Amino acid sequence: MKPWLRYAICGLAGLALGVGGAVWQVRAGAWGSSVRIGPWTTGTDYGTAGASAYTRAVVALRGLLALPAREARYYNAALDDDGRALDGRCRYRVTGGELGGAWWSPTLYDRDGYLVANRPGTYSVGSAAIAPAQRGAWEVAVAPVPQPGRWLPTGGIERFDLTLRVYLPADGGRGNLPRARLPRIQRLDCA
Amino acid sequence: MMRRWLLPLLLGAVLAILAYKATLIATPRVLMTAALKRVERLGGVNVLRHPPMASAGARTIVRPSPDLAYSSCVFDLDGGPVMIEVAPVPAPYWSLSVFDARTDVAFVRNNRDSGGAPIRVALALAGQDVPAGMEAVRVEGARGIALIRVLVESRDRFAAIDRARRASRCGRL
Repeated sequence: MKPWLRYAICGLAGLALGVGGAVWQVRAGAWGSSVRIGPWTTGTDYGTAGASAYTRAVVALRGLLALPAREARYYNAALDDDGRALDGRCRYRVTGGELGGAWWSPTLYDRDGYLVANRPGTYSVGSAAIAPAQRGAWEVAVAPVPQPGRWLPTGGIERFDLTLRVYLPADGGRGNLPRARLPRIQRLDCA
Repeated sequence: MMRRWLLPLLLGAVLAILAYKATLIATPRVLMTAALKRVERLGGVNVLRHPPMASAGARTIVRPSPDLAYSSCVFDLDGGPVMIEVAPVPAPYWSLSVFDARTDVAFVRNNRDSGGAPIRVALALAGQDVPAGMEAVRVEGARGIALIRVLVESRDRFAAIDRARRASRCGRL
């Protein structure tokens, strides 16, 4: 084999490996994978000049136009408390307390980051929908079929994830909510 | 035999690292450019558009919040500064954020920051003149997007909010 052909083969393979590796890593990376707290992942440098190239790329793919931490915090979960992938054919109990922001809201998305079609057109359960007296201990049923109480429909899709937004966080976005204050995601059963 | 492949393999490894880093750096700009084009197709440039609230069919921007009414303006500063004026709306939270083509946030202000008063800024490139008395927001790169977010606590309040937000403006100075 001629020398130039060896260089060409290795050079092209290197380029393909580099581009492919970056694309794979960004597509596989959880949004805000910089900190993992139980099933939730988050980061504090979205939208800032200090964000790493990797964070910037993942946020652009999964949460373009995210706000900086002092304005809003984003916590994302693709797993339940036991580390199993969130499955839209299963029933979950999501429980939490006061999250210390001006308002907060868990929202259900498909794995591409889009809202999931469902008959009642419910995509999130915001703090405004919960009476102030109940915000210290609230519960939401995440399931494919109607549930008593607050129901966040999954649409029966195979994989979904939850994004918890906390707007105007009480600490100005400087710290992460601890595990004890982030909602619990318990799988009850599957169809 | 192996010695003949040593330098080519080294070249391949160096190119792999460079390509990896270049792809990561280019990704936000590529995705942002595509998003700006999608929004621009719906409403043009330097124009504020007020789409309905996000639903399952929404594909313009990934991961939209179903609790917010978004108004957006794709801006282009090549022809001069662009003014954004946000009118107060009857909602507990509203804000203006400005993103450059690299996805960095150039400006954020909410109704608490402004005391409920209108927010009025001029988006400009470094070196572009802004009228005296106007707050200038200097943006890296000519193109980007300004986004107004309004919290809609229940969908039956959307009609009143939608009427009020249409008093906001985006346009050339």
